[in-house]
Amino acid sequence: MTGYNLSRLNFLIVDDNKHMRALVKSILHALGVKNVLEAADGADAFKELRHFPADIIICDWNMSPLDGMDFVRMVRTGSDSPNPFVPIIMLTGHTEMNRVTEARDTGVHEFLAKPISAKKLYTRVRSIIENPRPFVRAGIYFGPDRRRQENPNYNGKERRKDDTVEEQMDEAAGEMSQDEINALLEG
Amino acid sequence: MSEDETKNVAPQVIKPPMTLQAKVEKGGPGAVDLKALEKAESVIANLADEYLKWVQEDFLRLEKAFNVLKSGEGDVTQNLDNIFQIAHDMKGQGGSFGYDLMTAIGDQLCRLVEKMTKAGPREQEMIRVHIDAMRVIITKNLKGDGGNEGRQLLMGLQLVSGKL
Repeated sequence: MTGYNLSRLNFLIVDDNKHMRALVKSILHALGVKNVLEAADGADAFKELRHFPADIIICDWNMSPLDGMDFVRMVRTGSDSPNPFVPIIMLTGHTEMNRVTEARDTGVHEFLAKPISAKKLYTRVRSIIENPRPFVRAGIYFGPDRRRQENPNYNGKERRKDDTVEEQMDEAAGEMSQDEINALLEG
Repeated sequence: MSEDETKNVAPQVIKPPMTLQAKVEKGGPGAVDLKALEKAESVIANLADEYLKWVQEDFLRLEKAFNVLKSGEGDVTQNLDNIFQIAHDMKGQGGSFGYDLMTAIGDQLCRLVEKMTKAGPREQEMIRVHIDAMRVIITKNLKGDGGNEGRQLLMGLQLVSGKL
């Protein structure tokens, strides 16, 4: 296995749980990452972004006062966002299908289901490095292209023209495993 | 631009700057290989002792939230949500440190609490048995699926939850 040297990348971890931050930080250090900054909530993280050039953000969903989704929206579409293109990995225990699609439709790059492991985290980072995606502004959506695969024979409805968040969301039907989440996002 | 106006604009595809890719090299010293991944997994294993301290803090928070719920003070939806948030944290952490049953029971407690619209003696008892079961996992150090004892514990709790 030939992997990547991550030592020059800057990571921002956003989680209100200090134990989870400590865990993610320890994993990143063990993977050779040198520069890790922590923030306890979305508002704090947004402030940090003004002077910290994050290459990848790892963000929890459940936080207050500003939760993970609010934070992602601010980064992607806020007029004062320092970096609307920064890759974001959503790290959360929410693995219901409607939650996964909501995260995707808010503009996250990758979805990492808790409980986490070093391998799972590295796989998501590697995916961001290996598959840089163009950004799409369509309707109310602004974020990485949600189509990970080009299908030249696609002759279905052009969904981008009347793209809405609601259109993409099916009702939740139970919890999903990380493999199912990957299949949904990559399908 | 209003939402309606936004919808009428043709989709735009934008190529973001490749700043991240310019900063990573493939292979060479310091690159992530199987050994580095194993080392990172062992770092997590070494943190397991710390986790056993952290989880006691979570239990304190959970007991506090449960006592508020029992007292009937404040808004019941908010009190239930406080329990949900703590159980959700515990769910995320347990399995990361090898305590898969903490994740399974934490998840079950979340599902249970989110269905509740009131918090009478029956609901309180249901929450109580889940908290006690989580304590058993830590006290008895039931890692992984907890073996036979763990499976029975989980099955018993599923029966309790099914009654709501």
